Amino acid sequence: MPGLNQFLILGAIVFCIGIYGVLARRNVIVMLMSLELMLNGVNITLVAFNRFLTPPVGVSSSPFAGQMFALFVIAVAAAEAVLGLAIVIAVYRVRHTVQVDQIDLLRG
Amino acid sequence: MTEAIATIAFWVFAITTVVGALGVVLAKRVFHSAMFLVVALGSTAAIYVLLSADFLATVQVLVYTGAIVILVLFAIMLTPQSVELPAFAPGGQQVGGAVVALALLALVIAAIRTGPWPLAAQPLDQPTSFAIGQGFLTTFLFPFELASLVLLVALIGAILLARED
Repeated sequence: MPGLNQFLILGAIVFCIGIYGVLARRNVIVMLMSLELMLNGVNITLVAFNRFLTPPVGVSSSPFAGQMFALFVIAVAAAEAVLGLAIVIAVYRVRHTVQVDQIDLLRG
Repeated sequence: MTEAIATIAFWVFAITTVVGALGVVLAKRVFHSAMFLVVALGSTAAIYVLLSADFLATVQVLVYTGAIVILVLFAIMLTPQSVELPAFAPGGQQVGGAVVALALLALVIAAIRTGPWPLAAQPLDQPTSFAIGQGFLTTFLFPFELASLVLLVALIGAILLARED
């Protein structure tokens, strides 16, 4: 059975792929998807820590605090995706593009 | 025997997760990116099962591969793409992004490998739903209610932003 390190490295790889996506893509929707990937990598790390580093009862109020953090991350990610995509659609109505280098009204 | 199966399952799903994630950032068409996102998020759910997080795996499938991917597909549908536009940033920025990502990856892996972790005597393999539900309604009650407020605000905000007027 793979240990903690394998899961942590998997989470780190997914997170870094997400970073590359945010930095190297021009399409806002793909950038938002890469953001979801980054949050996903963090979630893998949280759940792995929860399973392998469980604090003894009494130190933490719940043995599954790490998984609850991951659930909150999922809730916030859902809110972020909803708002992000709503903004994308609103911008598309005005500018007729989802390419970030063409949404440059504030560029000096 | 179960050990061997768990190891094989870990490697299979870890590789699918990474391949799916790479597909998201490397696919030329946005729609293909969204399909690769399903692969990445679905195999992450399997990874959660291997970490004995059954409830979280269910939520992952429902919320991520269910709701969020559908939402992304709707956004793709509502913003018709002009095909001739470059999908990627100019070359220099791509190289920069790759360098940043790889440097951060090396840093994190080095940090992971530094010390022995204070591992628990026994990995936590219990049914989670009951304990998570109890935690949400006792210790974590305030953040739990706050999360519903955040979701409500996001709902209203999305309606306001995307409304045609």
